[in-house]
Amino acid sequence: MHRSSGWLTTNRTLGLLLGLLGFVALFLGTPYKGTTATLDATELARIVEREVDHVAPETLADWIIQGKADFRLIDLRSETEYTGYHIPGAENVTLTALADHGLQRNEKIILYSEGGIHSAQAWFLLKAREYNGVYMLRGGLEEWKEKVLFPMLPAEPTPAQRVEFAKMKEVSAFFGGTPQTGTPAERPAVVTALPKLDMPAPASGAAPKKKKKEGC
Amino acid sequence: MNAPFFKFGLFGDNVSLVVAFLIGIGFGFFLERAGFGSAKKLTAQFYFTDLSVFKVMFSAIVTAMVGIFYLSWMGIVDLSLVYLTPTFLVPQVVGGMILGVGFVVGGYCPGTSCVGLATGRSDAGVYLIGIVAGIIVFGEVYPLVKDFYLSTPMGQVTLPALLNIPYGVIMFLVVLMAIGGFAGATWVEKRMAARKGA
Repeated sequence: MHRSSGWLTTNRTLGLLLGLLGFVALFLGTPYKGTTATLDATELARIVEREVDHVAPETLADWIIQGKADFRLIDLRSETEYTGYHIPGAENVTLTALADHGLQRNEKIILYSEGGIHSAQAWFLLKAREYNGVYMLRGGLEEWKEKVLFPMLPAEPTPAQRVEFAKMKEVSAFFGGTPQTGTPAERPAVVTALPKLDMPAPASGAAPKKKKKEGC
Repeated sequence: MNAPFFKFGLFGDNVSLVVAFLIGIGFGFFLERAGFGSAKKLTAQFYFTDLSVFKVMFSAIVTAMVGIFYLSWMGIVDLSLVYLTPTFLVPQVVGGMILGVGFVVGGYCPGTSCVGLATGRSDAGVYLIGIVAGIIVFGEVYPLVKDFYLSTPMGQVTLPALLNIPYGVIMFLVVLMAIGGFAGATWVEKRMAARKGA
């Protein structure tokens, strides 16, 4: 403001600069072009190596309990398997339908399949299409069952393991699971029946519940 | 691709709180520097004697717009990854009007009331109590207004996508609006000052 030399005050200089930038923008085309970048194989490999593309089942359980709605959970298994049991809030999308499912690139997407293979493949398919926020549920549904639905107390538990188990027991109860206690011999050989689907209260709907305060 | 940082796990919850704190401090600092810790300055807006609020907020909007456009164009920020608050047209228009009434009556908006309180203004404290009370009331009546709250959903929309006009053109139009707005606001301020003097 002080160095106003005649007509060209600071305000007018900034206004001119703004006008210029706005005018140039007319001819620059879409700003999204920066996003059609190349698939960086090394970068992908690094992500895989650092394992930052995983979400642990315990973490996901925690998010669902908290009612977080800032992610989409995708079940990649067949429709029959999906109707049999799925993690609350999951959408059923098969690998082939994934491209047309209307996933947005600014969404956080968590994929899971029975084990880890299909979700890993889907992960690469989406990554190749520049979806950045794609994650896999670590160990797939198998680990979900093992860690969340049917957590197990080790035979000779340490105090830390006991505390951990006590916590997981509650989480398990939320999802209608059955924590496994007693020695391995006493446990049923077959996996305990999967919980009924109406058991847990899933984070309702697609509408994000978070309230953000924005503006002034 | 550098953005957005939090959502895609470049840092965790705790770091995000620190970042939010720092951004909040910065935001508050500049609001205070613009004089927005004072309800007098803020309400002068509605008497057209001091349009600083309009100028500051519109400056922030065009600065962010120009910055994001060029950074994305250069490939530094990935625009398609930036989260957009979903639009619920009618409830948001109504909400905006309620906020506007509160702004006129109370002399603050949510952010500036924090700034006002931080600089020791007790009216801002009263305003903040009102905000908290409003949050509690809203939380209690939420089941009743839920249907309306979630009505006319349009998802994450942008003007270029909605109007099917190229991004650069929208940007140029907003820039014209801003420059015209700044010039117009200054003109109005001068006229009001002259009328007061007369």
